[in-house]
Amino acid sequence: MAPVRDARGNEMRLQTVPHGGGVFGANRQPGLGGHGGSPNGPLNEVHVFWIAGMSCDGCTIAASGATNPSVEDLLLGRIPNLPKVILHHPVLSPGAGTEFIRPFKQAVNGELGAPYVVVLEGSVPDDQAFPSDIGYFSAMGAGGFDPESETDQPNRVTDWLWKLAPGAAAYVAIGTCATWGGIPAAAGNITGSMSLTDYLGQDYRSALGVPVVNVPGCAPVGDNFTETVAAVLMFLQNLAPVPKFDELGRPAWLFGETVHRHCPKAGYYEEGVFAEEFGDNECLVEIGCWGPVVQCNITERGAINHMGGCMVAGGPCIGCTMPGFPDKYSPFLKAPPGSSISGGISKVTGGGIRRLRRLSMKKGNRTGVWDNAHEVPSGWGRAHGDKGPVDKANGFFYEKLQYRGSVNHAKRNKRQPLPQSRDILRQKGVDLTASVDVLGERVKTREEL
Amino acid sequence: MCFKNLPIEFDSQGNATLKQGVANPYTYTETPAPTPIEDDPERMRELFARNGAIRRVDFDPVTRVAGALAFHTVVDLDSREVLETASMATLFRGYEVILQGRDPRDAINISSRACGVCGGVHATTSALACEMAFGISPPPMGVVARNLLLSTEYLYDHPIHLSLLAGPDFSEEAVRETNPEIWTRAENTRTQGREVHGYEFMSELMTDLTPLTGKLYLEGLYYTRLAREAYVLIGGKYPHPHTVVPGGVSTTIDPSDLNEIMLRVVKYFDYGRKTVAIWNDIAEFFYDVNPKYKDIGTRPKNMVEPGQWDDPFAYDASYENCDDWGRRRWATPGVLVDGELVTTSLQMVNAGVEEFVEHAFYEEWTGNGSGNEYYKFPTDPAGNPLSPYHPWNKETIPKPTATSWKEKYSWSTAPRWDRMAMETGAYSRIWTAAMTPNYRQSNYIEPTGHSLKIHLPKASLPNTEIEWKIPEVWGAFERNRARAYCILYTAAIAYDNLLLAYDLLRKGGPDAKMSTPFKVPKDHRIGVGLWSAGRGYLTHHMEIDKGVIKNYQILTPSTWMASPKDPFGNPGPYEEAVMATPLLENYEKPEDFKGIDVLRAIRSFDPCMPCTTHIHSDDRTITREIISCACGATGDHEH
Ligand code: SF4
Ligand code: SF4
Repeated sequence: MAPVRDARGNEMRLQTVPHGGGVFGANRQPGLGGHGGSPNGPLNEVHVFWIAGMSCDGCTIAASGATNPSVEDLLLGRIPNLPKVILHHPVLSPGAGTEFIRPFKQAVNGELGAPYVVVLEGSVPDDQAFPSDIGYFSAMGAGGFDPESETDQPNRVTDWLWKLAPGAAAYVAIGTCATWGGIPAAAGNITGSMSLTDYLGQDYRSALGVPVVNVPGCAPVGDNFTETVAAVLMFLQNLAPVPKFDELGRPAWLFGETVHRHCPKAGYYEEGVFAEEFGDNECLVEIGCWGPVVQCNITERGAINHMGGCMVAGGPCIGCTMPGFPDKYSPFLKAPPGSSISGGISKVTGGGIRRLRRLSMKKGNRTGVWDNAHEVPSGWGRAHGDKGPVDKANGFFYEKLQYRGSVNHAKRNKRQPLPQSRDILRQKGVDLTASVDVLGERVKTREEL
Repeated sequence: MCFKNLPIEFDSQGNATLKQGVANPYTYTETPAPTPIEDDPERMRELFARNGAIRRVDFDPVTRVAGALAFHTVVDLDSREVLETASMATLFRGYEVILQGRDPRDAINISSRACGVCGGVHATTSALACEMAFGISPPPMGVVARNLLLSTEYLYDHPIHLSLLAGPDFSEEAVRETNPEIWTRAENTRTQGREVHGYEFMSELMTDLTPLTGKLYLEGLYYTRLAREAYVLIGGKYPHPHTVVPGGVSTTIDPSDLNEIMLRVVKYFDYGRKTVAIWNDIAEFFYDVNPKYKDIGTRPKNMVEPGQWDDPFAYDASYENCDDWGRRRWATPGVLVDGELVTTSLQMVNAGVEEFVEHAFYEEWTGNGSGNEYYKFPTDPAGNPLSPYHPWNKETIPKPTATSWKEKYSWSTAPRWDRMAMETGAYSRIWTAAMTPNYRQSNYIEPTGHSLKIHLPKASLPNTEIEWKIPEVWGAFERNRARAYCILYTAAIAYDNLLLAYDLLRKGGPDAKMSTPFKVPKDHRIGVGLWSAGRGYLTHHMEIDKGVIKNYQILTPSTWMASPKDPFGNPGPYEEAVMATPLLENYEKPEDFKGIDVLRAIRSFDPCMPCTTHIHSDDRTITREIISCACGATGDHEH
């Protein structure tokens, strides 16, 4: 379409407004945060540019749920000696449009005047492969990157990513999409999606010489991300040693263990008892848990504020932190092939262990007084005070082993006289039915309600 | 009966049939979109001569919404009108293609990733589609666990919208910047709800809405977390739960779980009361300042709502019975046209849906609007007629091209119900429930036909009966206000379900089981999950054959509302609402314009873009070829 011209042949274009979307005013510090912060550290101020590519915003939401530290701890300057942190985030920033995009453009053009970190959520689509500069799979802002640009087409996220790379103090990929490719890059995708490291290449180093930092998880545990950011900032401020990252750029202290090792169901696995149906309490391996071969800390740390976690709630692990997610772990909800061998072994050995444990548990559920009195004074059920022959035999060997080389408390307990005021109400002749009547007058029955 | 535009008739028994004697009943002739102002020499000359205050204002990106949304406007800053709007979804990921050829069970965990703001509802809706296709349904406890999962999800969702996304537009700084005279007035206006929220003056309340430093902002953030703590006890993690399975949940629930959930849910009775008082004050204060604020974001009262929170003893996952079990839901299905409830039938909600792609980056699939090609499902499983544009029949071919307001400008399709643009959200939920006759028995919720009464268990604040009244004028302030009431509505439903869960857990037996075993069928089947998300309408349509997914369609709330224009010349809801918005901002010269009223209008819908854009295809093979062949082909549109 040819540009519209006026009577004198001059091109007619609508003017734009300079502060569209800047409802918090041009004088306000752009972005969110920038409160407090240390004036004396090597770093006084750092901008964080959060960019969403092929993402579901789940990482943003996960980060907003973090409590150790929380996003507001970082942005309000609540942690001593950390720099002032200013976040530019499409979901959280006060300003919109031109006003929101301005600092991004300043960073690209080297005019920001402060160090910046880039966080990518979501995978990187292959839209740079489009034959012309037009069309995109993921876009943010419009109108090109330098001030002279006359285009009004959307700016591709992939352009922002490479243009921000050389100047970034650090580049952090959050979530499995950005770290490894994740679901947008799964088999059958038509967007050619890939991870940030695939996109920037093996040789990428930030302005401070660091390769891409990867905090995986779909969605990640929010604390894993905020803690990593805090750890890196602590290091930059000379407060803590350099954090350890593994060969794939994961924070090593967070992703070094399998999630199975800290799983609350691991005891079931050891005893060889497995859930058969969804909702069963036991180890979930036969209904699709990949925990024994997945690097994740959710069973130790919880999902949010130390609560929840997949297997904690009964959800089998589907490997969402791993580079092979989702294709190497699907079909989900189906036993992993290796589990029949390891699970089979644990069924055999675990069965015996479980029975022995039940016996010693029964023993531990009796006090010395009850042993001597041969009864359990519980009103809740008929717990037997006397031991059967198996219990006795087992108890004999058990005690031998337990007290060998030390004091035999079982023997000492047997010499202990029974307390004389046992069963005091009966001794005093208290009539319990009377008090029931008193209470009955004050409490409404269900029918009355 | 309920349809005015679709070629569907009803016989004396109320059964739907296709209108007889029409050759291609679903055919339409496309009404072209109006020529964009900047491409129209006539209009440009007229506007240039008008007043020198015509401006193009593009909000790209619109922040404080979830996901990638850009919004184009042309405004007359002299007459304070909006002259042109276009809503753009700027992300495409192709999830439905990724789903094709996979095990149907995987749809739950993969489609959950369509949206990270409310992943649990995608997982659940997908499980519902599986259940219909597999012919299974969960035991009562499995249904109750889902109800708890998705009521705690919405207890996180409502505060995040009100405090973090929409709230800042009414905060001290924003108001001082855009309407200083309103701020002065706020300093001298006493609030109505001070006994409940504790703020004496409007200005104090507005100061506390300030991002990050405001007490209400931080309190809202806290309440988004508290509900998620309850949620992860059932779902494992937020946003993507790992316990949702076909036939129920894999959650292991013990009394501690229920106690911990209960102790969190009850806190929302006080928090909800406070939030309602705050948003009542905000709406009334602005209306008092200038009654025109009622028109910010106004549009016809057309809404679609599939409902949610199933009755554990009624839900059987079948399409045939879905009208019955649908009406037993705590949030009932329905469609509102001009504020009238035209149907409460889940089948009619489903059968009335079509999706159009004239202005989206996809190719049309039925033969360019003729609609008379053979298509797969001329009727649904109950025999109601379906359009070739219905999700079960849809085929989408992505085609990234240049952005042009006249042609294609969004990755969102244009869904329509009975060929009308519909909005949907937390408010369509209480609105539909308020008007529903014979609402299920509930201890806490009482529809009156013109309002919804919520009888709250008493916690520490006064006011135990709360009433949301259907508003006369529908706009941005009313959307936000209704959202606040939804906190209480949701908390009451969560509480109702908790008591049920305690009861089932105690009774034990088969009703207390969490799931029903299943086998993935190998024959050809279809299913649909209909379950409204925190922010409204959500459906997953699924077709399986030979044990794998043949076709998968996700239709989300923001696809309805962020939609571009349709082939009948109608704008999408955001576009329509912003067109109707008066610009009440205080600016002396055009250069000072910020656009707060436009942003308030858009944000009141709580846009959530991640799951708005996705595609699907049928047998057709779409390969990565499309990247190198389709795009740029129509790169001739320039402004
Ligand atoms: S549930 Fe999974 S992670 Fe936990 S013990 Fe079993 S196999 Fe290991
Ligand atoms: S346990 Fe498995 S599924 Fe759950 S978060 Fe960790 S890796 Fe993901």
